[in-house]
Amino acid sequence: MSDVTPPPRGIDPRGPRFAASITAVLLLVTTFLALIGASTARAVATFGWFAYQPLSGTDFAFVGGSWLLPALPVAQRAADPGFLLLLVIALLFLWSVLSPRTAPWGVLYRRVVQPRLAPPTELEDPRPPRFAQGVGLFVTTIGLILHLAGVPWALPIAAALAFVAAFLNAVFGLCLGCQLYLLLQRTGIIGRAATA
Amino acid sequence: MNLSGAILVLIALLAVTIGVGAFLRWQQNRPRHLNPTEVVDPLRLGAESLGENATLLQFSTEMCSRCPGVHRTLAAIADDHLGVAHLDIDLTHRPDIAKHFHVLQTPTTLILDRDGMIQTRFGGTPSRNAVELELARVTSEDARV
Repeated sequence: MSDVTPPPRGIDPRGPRFAASITAVLLLVTTFLALIGASTARAVATFGWFAYQPLSGTDFAFVGGSWLLPALPVAQRAADPGFLLLLVIALLFLWSVLSPRTAPWGVLYRRVVQPRLAPPTELEDPRPPRFAQGVGLFVTTIGLILHLAGVPWALPIAAALAFVAAFLNAVFGLCLGCQLYLLLQRTGIIGRAATA
Repeated sequence: MNLSGAILVLIALLAVTIGVGAFLRWQQNRPRHLNPTEVVDPLRLGAESLGENATLLQFSTEMCSRCPGVHRTLAAIADDHLGVAHLDIDLTHRPDIAKHFHVLQTPTTLILDRDGMIQTRFGGTPSRNAVELELARVTSEDARV
């Protein structure tokens, strides 16, 4: 990212945390839907047909311990409720990365929550939360792609990882992006060496 | 996965996340005492000089949302204590400095004594109380020597 431009206008630091709370709840619901959906379902062979048994536990004998997901057509993988909700969350992450000012949770915060609170005592740089949204987008997109490719468990694991990050931010005020950034920089994925 | 299995997984996920969060928060207020082996050269960090009695050396990056808050806390502490300086070094484009001081997370705060020796390290966002306690220890140890 270029550092020639001056730091952008400050934002109320409580905004991103409010958004993280909503995102955390949505991601927890997604993890739940993904766990009971096609992503973790076992394939049950009945007379040579693969029967979709989303709620099957150990009650049904499964053949060869194989997963259901790879046997499903792509359209059916995409129709999984967990997949659809994670797709919506990924699009919201994308929105926040592209246009943080107009992203829905930010707008909701400024219109409804902020007027009821005391004015912020300090303003913060909007770039770190944007970077964090980018990390969220990356993790959820990988989960979505792997799920479409037929990898079992990709969906709940990606949703759970994103949930952990959002929850730690919302509840503990911890930012995993802060920990990640230097690691990524060290490995040379982002950032540049000094020219001076 | 059946319903009860999924609920158990969710409870475990919540418990682990809360545990990780509580641990990280506890760890951030825990100073790590270092064996003073290195004298920090302020010129290398782009600073004129260090504090007379002690220096709060903070490392930040552009993408660190907690760094401005820690900056304010440390700047206020430096203002309240005579001879204590606060330096905030942006590591975004200085991986060499990050490597030299083994910084893996920002903010990271080092407390240097009057000679510029690294005495204490805080990883994360320490409370004002924790930093002031540690600062008092470092400056008083100095006085005794």
